[in-house]
Amino acid sequence: MNSQLLIVRPSSQRVYLLCAVALLFFGCAGHSAKTLQARAALDAGTPEKAVALLNKELKVKSSAELPTKEKKDTTLLVLDRAMILQQLADYKNSSRDLQYSDKSIEILDLSRKATDEIGKYLFSDDVGPYKAPPYEKLMINTVNMMNYITIRQLSGARVEARRFSILRKYLKDNNNSAVTMGAPGSYLAGFVFEKSGKTDEALRYYDEALEHGDFKSLVGPVRYLQGIGSYSSDRLTALLQHAAASSATDNSPEATQATEGTENMTPEAGADPSGTNSTAESTAATDELAKFSIANRPTEILVILNYGRVPAKIAKRIPIGLALTLGTLYFSPSMGKQASQLAAQGLVTWINFPDLEPETRKILTPSVKLDGQYQTLEGALNVADETRAQYEEEKGKIIASAGIRMVTRAAIGQGAKAAINDPIWGLVASLGSQAALAAADTPDTRSWATLPARIAFLRIPVTPGKHQVEVQAQGQTMVIDVDLKPGGWKAVMLTVLR
Amino acid sequence: MFTIKRITILGALVGASLFASACGSPRAVRGEDVAGLDDQAMGTGLDQRDLKKLLSENMTAMQSSAVVKRWEGEDSPIVSVLPIRNETSEHIESALDALISDIETTLVNGGHVTVKSLEQQPQMMALVKQQQGEAYDQGTVANWGKQLGVQYVVTGKVFTTDEKFDGERRVQYYMFIQVLEVATGAIRFQNKAELTKAII
Repeated sequence: MNSQLLIVRPSSQRVYLLCAVALLFFGCAGHSAKTLQARAALDAGTPEKAVALLNKELKVKSSAELPTKEKKDTTLLVLDRAMILQQLADYKNSSRDLQYSDKSIEILDLSRKATDEIGKYLFSDDVGPYKAPPYEKLMINTVNMMNYITIRQLSGARVEARRFSILRKYLKDNNNSAVTMGAPGSYLAGFVFEKSGKTDEALRYYDEALEHGDFKSLVGPVRYLQGIGSYSSDRLTALLQHAAASSATDNSPEATQATEGTENMTPEAGADPSGTNSTAESTAATDELAKFSIANRPTEILVILNYGRVPAKIAKRIPIGLALTLGTLYFSPSMGKQASQLAAQGLVTWINFPDLEPETRKILTPSVKLDGQYQTLEGALNVADETRAQYEEEKGKIIASAGIRMVTRAAIGQGAKAAINDPIWGLVASLGSQAALAAADTPDTRSWATLPARIAFLRIPVTPGKHQVEVQAQGQTMVIDVDLKPGGWKAVMLTVLR
Repeated sequence: MFTIKRITILGALVGASLFASACGSPRAVRGEDVAGLDDQAMGTGLDQRDLKKLLSENMTAMQSSAVVKRWEGEDSPIVSVLPIRNETSEHIESALDALISDIETTLVNGGHVTVKSLEQQPQMMALVKQQQGEAYDQGTVANWGKQLGVQYVVTGKVFTTDEKFDGERRVQYYMFIQVLEVATGAIRFQNKAELTKAII
């Protein structure tokens, strides 16, 4: 048969064009594959190499540069770089990257087109620009507040706090479960406004932090601020009453051995690795109360620890039968029937979708020493667990969209076969169009994979003068000497993303 | 009716044109060469046009205020312009810094005062900026004025009301400009200008 004389119906030219366009624009490696080497470099304890790899991916010469051309993964790559720059203590560039990503995500969020959504169901899961989940947006402002606090730029930190607050309110008003991840952000915002001399704003933020976190370290600051401010709430009152009751109980002889063991949201945070200093929560609270007297502005040190790394998304294949079960709630009845028929005919057997990588990274117990004495850390957030929980909420939808693409591919293949009036060429066209669309279907493995697995704080009132802070996390140690004036403060941050 | 050859050519042409359009690199342009380039809002931050509007409203109000009449009665008092505080949800510090020179220019050209620029005292500028970022009050501002050896200081702040709703974001800006008398700490002039930016 002479292919030059092959008659092709007009509908099949659309099929070919569809496949060509799909391959042209969507046929590329997933985000996870692109950043695999950078993440491996972080695991190997070489963040400099990780940054260099991301810079190469962003097509910039150094971390001092922002990319000039915006591609669909650019925002995410810049976010990844921001966290690694924070680990390298390059707080200014980390902050600039976070600002850039924050703005980009805001614009992309509001500009995502209907064609992107259609493409998601027709061609590939990762069509269109990155749409950050709400918890990642909250974390952008939280992490950037950390940068600004560490370099002591309260004006910039207040901007981040306000941005955080707007988003948090939006999520809360819309009953979004991601709002529970706002506890560390609210805590830091309170700290920022407290140190800016804005008492009532600080108390409001501390009140928010207590909504989703059990921060015993706030007892002292809240007591001090309520002495000079006017804001009050049931939660703040309860915090002080509980601390006072604990203090009274602990002062009784029979209670001196008591430990509550509920101080940390993450049990491992703050444990003393040597086992020589198991500080009782209530004793610490009583000490704090003494130092945070209403008359004196406290002199204090804030330690911020970001350690471990959240699981990245990876491409995963599952049998079609399992996919139909997992995504059943999200398939329309007709779509589910079509998928079952295709599965029964053996036309499709597997589905590709993004899953979270298994938890293989070991989270070690971090520690902080102040002037040689171990201190009790406060677990602010288990980001990894929250990330998994958020993913599980979306998993059914993700699998269902992969299933819909599968059905669409098979339908296009059948269309291509029917459009060509030759059984052999029809079969070739069918297989070709399905193969092209299958090759273009990349599971959306985009996620902010350099977020820390855990966030922990230590806030400790100290006497004015010189002190040494030693922070240790994931096998990395940082020692900092501080010299504080009366009423002064210093923030110390260690980020270790492995 | 189409043949495979025709479809292949057509597909190649479409693909090439799409590829070319997708790979088009950005080009540098001048504001005066592209009509309306400065008119388009690129985000919810403050751009040159917004700053001009906010400042112009405030400075126009100042020119016709009692403080200028007061200055006319004095022998060209010395005035310094302090940085404008950013109390917004946008990182507009550098844009606000640019306003210092604009305010100084307006005051110099008004001819009522002698302007002592803080730019010539970078250490003082750094101190003011740091203290402005932390807890400070009106007494602190007057104190800086004394250290600078000026009779009046011009300063200001920008606030926002920021809301997000159903895929839209609106930021309402309020810029306050104040003139403080250093000797008494009293506010001799205050005005507010407003502006709204949004992504809708």
